[in-house]
Formats: sequence, structure tokens, C-alpha cells
Amino acid sequence: MHKNIYEPQEATIENIITESPTIKTFVLRPSNGFSFQTGQFVDITIPGIGEAPFTPSSDPNVKDYLEVTIMNAGRITSIIHNTKTGDKVGLRGPYGKGYPLDQFKGQELVIVGGGVGLAPLRSLILALFFNIDDYSKVVIRYGAKTPEDVIYKDAIPQWANRHNRINLVTTVDRGNDTWKGNVGLVTTILNDLPVDIKKAKAIVCGPPIMMKFVTFKLLELGFGHSQIYLSMEKNMSCGLGKCGHCRLGPYYACKDGPVFTYDKISQLHDIWD
Amino acid sequence: MPQYYIKKEDFLKFLDNLSREYSVYMPTLCEGRKDDYIYSQCLKPGDFIFNPYRTVEPIKSFLSPLKEKVSNYFSDKTQEGQDKKIAIVGLKNCDIQSLKIQDYVFLQGVCEDEIYAKRRKDTLLISSDCTAFKDVCHCIGLGIMPYPEELFDLNMSPLNDSFIIDVGSKTGEGLIEKNNELFKEATNAQLTAMRLKRESVVEQLSKHLAAKKLAPKEALQKSIASSHGSDIWQNEMLTCVECGACNFICPDCHCFLLADDKKDDKNTRVRLWDSCLYANYARVAGGANPLKLRAQRLRNRFEKKFDFFPTNLKIFGCTGCGRCIEACPAKIDIREVLKKAYEYSKSNKS
Repeated sequence: MHKNIYEPQEATIENIITESPTIKTFVLRPSNGFSFQTGQFVDITIPGIGEAPFTPSSDPNVKDYLEVTIMNAGRITSIIHNTKTGDKVGLRGPYGKGYPLDQFKGQELVIVGGGVGLAPLRSLILALFFNIDDYSKVVIRYGAKTPEDVIYKDAIPQWANRHNRINLVTTVDRGNDTWKGNVGLVTTILNDLPVDIKKAKAIVCGPPIMMKFVTFKLLELGFGHSQIYLSMEKNMSCGLGKCGHCRLGPYYACKDGPVFTYDKISQLHDIWD
Repeated sequence: MPQYYIKKEDFLKFLDNLSREYSVYMPTLCEGRKDDYIYSQCLKPGDFIFNPYRTVEPIKSFLSPLKEKVSNYFSDKTQEGQDKKIAIVGLKNCDIQSLKIQDYVFLQGVCEDEIYAKRRKDTLLISSDCTAFKDVCHCIGLGIMPYPEELFDLNMSPLNDSFIIDVGSKTGEGLIEKNNELFKEATNAQLTAMRLKRESVVEQLSKHLAAKKLAPKEALQKSIASSHGSDIWQNEMLTCVECGACNFICPDCHCFLLADDKKDDKNTRVRLWDSCLYANYARVAGGANPLKLRAQRLRNRFEKKFDFFPTNLKIFGCTGCGRCIEACPAKIDIREVLKKAYEYSKSNKS
């Protein structure tokens, strides 16, 4: 049988975890098996309605299911948020280039997440944990709007205590009565990173405005352009560099990205829009 | 490959033979208009007319049609009817050259679009030389000649009441063999006459374009890349009505949407042409839109054609067919926009 590049395979929603008032994690079991590299994305189809791109948030070493953490932000995501356990969705992919784990080996890594942007990074973090001895340090900095908006509330404290190579700090833009942690934008917890900045690699994912200011902060701290890995959000539809929508200068985000080092895109116009 | 000679009456017999194996599409004059040709199917070979220049519709309307079902997912696959192979007669070089872009998009890259691939394989391309041109034609300005030299199965060069036939593929060669009683090998005198005819058209079109003072093709990529911050886009935006006609009529534009539907419990997915001038073209979930302004979208169209494709494929995303100039209700002329970008880049050299 030929492979039809536009045809999704069937996947069953096995579990739905509420992460925040606007964010849920969906556990999907594909009917025909599925594997991806951390950082690659998939298209999820609501049958008869349409599809949208998401980056899995689960460990790529787990092969029989995948998790996708989704914010209710648009037409398709609002329908996904109303699905129930047992519902069927479609799955296409994986697409794009994942995080280059081979380039991360032996390195000090700084992972900076904002809001639901921690979802793809969770997949990366779990992939790093799988072979933690391969990496000399994993520094995680995460910011959310409010304590309620923090995702993976149970997992984050466990990550912090998992290994002495891991250093994790979180912050919220606005605290509340019970929040005991940092208050302030994620850029405020990037000073005094416990890494050798000349050699470290920074991996950033979050809303465009957050990535813009985190990138500027990292440059100010002394990171080189090629040491910063950014997840560029574009309108990725076909996933294959054909439909044209996600053009980013001479690239398509879907096939040449979605992860780009800053040196590849710093000269392009309007990248943060 | 050898070149052949065929009399017009024998060419009609050839078309008749062809129609047993292929659905033959031939150019016909648009009703009520004396100077435009469109493709029609199932004509009698006797209805054949030679179109002196390109048709209204681009070749992509055959290969990746406006709206096409690409998947019936989560349902039993019923054997779909086999399409008859099609033959398109009278394609001009602006359409033939656009195959480089369409093939790059749909056949190459990450993987091939098997629906396009099958149709491309099953489509016989019988191209022909231009013997005249429209006011909007500007292929030579982009380095494309008004006669095909590659990518066709057979090419026709009209000569008096006959054609010189170039063979461009194994399929074309096979058709000549199959109909060998109709074709003779072309003589040197005939080939010389054909060359002179081509040169004469090139000369006339060059003269026509010289009067238009086009921006030089060597400067186009730099001009567009360096006029990102110019006011050209703001000015052109004032008349653009975002209809998308320039995209849909363009043989090189390839952007498409995937849209899903459900009928009788069957999920279908269609691939349909999209336009980068439409407001939601680049919009992402949550409402962010890197091409929010019409001026940005208009600029995006030019950057894709004259910067993205030269960078990635070493060719322009424009073959100079001039269809967008005719189609634009705002009379935005791609040649004039390129000239403005060229002038801007010249005057803003640092």
C-alpha cells in the first residue's frame, strides 16, 4: 500500500490530565504504533473537523503512547479540550527536526520555558533523564503567569530532586497568598546560572514575546547566537514543506525547524511576530 | 533526440490516435473574447487550433487542481475509479518551466505527494512555441525563452501548414514510433526555418520588453531582499483588495490548505489552493499573525518568488506569464513592483 502523506492514523485518547484552567495533557495511544524524536511535532486531527500541530510532551523512549499538552487557544484546541477518554482522534507525523541530542551530549544545558512552552521541553527533559549521565548539567528555568498556570505541578518538584546534575528554578509573573516561590518574569531568574556560559547551550520554548526577551537576556549574559535553540511558532499545516504557510525567510519552520539556533534566524525580519 | 516533421492534417490524425489512450485537452478560444484561450476536453481533432501564446489557466489546474480530495480517513477504502491518462496540447514555456516549482514542492523535499506524482506521471505534455505574445508577457525578462527546450514529452514548432516536433521523453519517443507513418525526419532546411521563426519572436518580444524598461533579472533577488523596509509595500497595499487572483492564476504559486469534512459518517480531507494575501494565511492558534498587515502579505508574495526560490532552488518563482497582471482588479503589475524595488535598492545602497 502507498503512503498517503495527508492521511492520519487513528489514535485513542486514553487519559486526560487537567494541568491548569486552560491547559490539559492528553494521553494518546496510536493504533499502528508511533515513534518520534524529542522536539518533533505531530498533527492531531479531530475527525471531520480539521487538524492542528503540537509537539509531544512525553518521553520519546516510550513507544506505545504519547502525551500532548494543549492550551485551549483556538478552534481545534477548544474541540480537543471537550473530548473525553475513549474518543478517537487522528495523528500524522512526526514532522520537523527534533532537538539535536547528539549536540547536547557532554554539555551544560540551560532549559528555559514559558507557560505551555514547557510542554515540548518536558519531552526533552525526560529524554535527557533517560541518559542523564550523558549530560554534564541540566539547568531548568520555568515561568508561568500565575501559580494556577504552572503546568506539571506534581512533576516539577520531582525533577528538581532527581539528580544532583539538575538545577531547577520556577517563577510566576504574579503570585498569590499561597505561592512561596519567585515572583517576576522568567528573565529575572536567569542571572547567576550555574553553568560556564562560554560553553553552555540554552534551549528556549514559550510564547514569542517571552522567547524574544529571553534570547536578548541570554545574549547579554554572554551566550553566543549558535548556543541558543529556539522553537519558532509558525502556521505549520502540512508538516512537509509543501503548503507554504510556515515560511521563515529561506526556511520552512515545519521541515527546517521548528527548532532553530539563533544564528540561523537572527538576520531574518520579524521573527518574533 | 531526432526532430520530426508532421503535416497539420497528419497531426490531426495523431491527435485522433492519441484520444484512444488519453483524454486530450486542447486550447479553444474563450467565448466572446477573441484573444484568450482556455482548455477544453473531448473536442474532435478537427477542432484543433494552434494557440499563439499561453492559455488563461495555468498548468497547475491539471496537476494539483483547485480542490482535490486527498484522504478518506478512518473508513474502508473503496477502490476508486482509475482516471484516464490526460494529454495537454499547446502548453507554453511559462507553464512548462513552472513544473520546476510544482515538482520541487510536490515530488521532492521531505516526501512526495503521491496524488500529484501519479497525475504528473499520467499526464502527457505536448508543448508548443509561442508565435506571438500578450502585452503582459515578460518571460524573457526572467531568462525564460518563449519556446520549450526541456520537460515536455513532445514540442511543436509551427512551420507553414505543418509542425516540427521535438521529442523530450521516452513516452514522446514511443508515441512517435507508434505513429511513425505520420512523422518524417525533419530536414536541415526545416530546422533552420524553425530557428529563424523562434529568433524572430524573441526579437519582437525583446523589443516589446525593452520599451517597458524591466528591472534586470540579475538584480531582482537583491532588490526584493533589500526593499523589505521600503514604502513600496505600503503603497501597493492601498489598491490590493486581497482577492487572491494573482495567486490562483499563477503557475508557480503552490500554497494550499488542508480542510476536513464529514459526510454520511465519512471523513474526508481536501487539499485546496490558498492565497498568501488572505488575512489568516499565517495566523496561528491564539491569534498571533506574523503577516497581520496587507502590506506584509503583499511583500511576502514577492519575497517568496524572488528571494526564497532563488535561494532554495536557484530559479525565480515567476515564469513571466503575466497572468497576475491581467487578473488583478487593482491593476498591480508585477513588473512595475519589481522596478520599484530595483530603483529603491539602487538609491539605498550604503
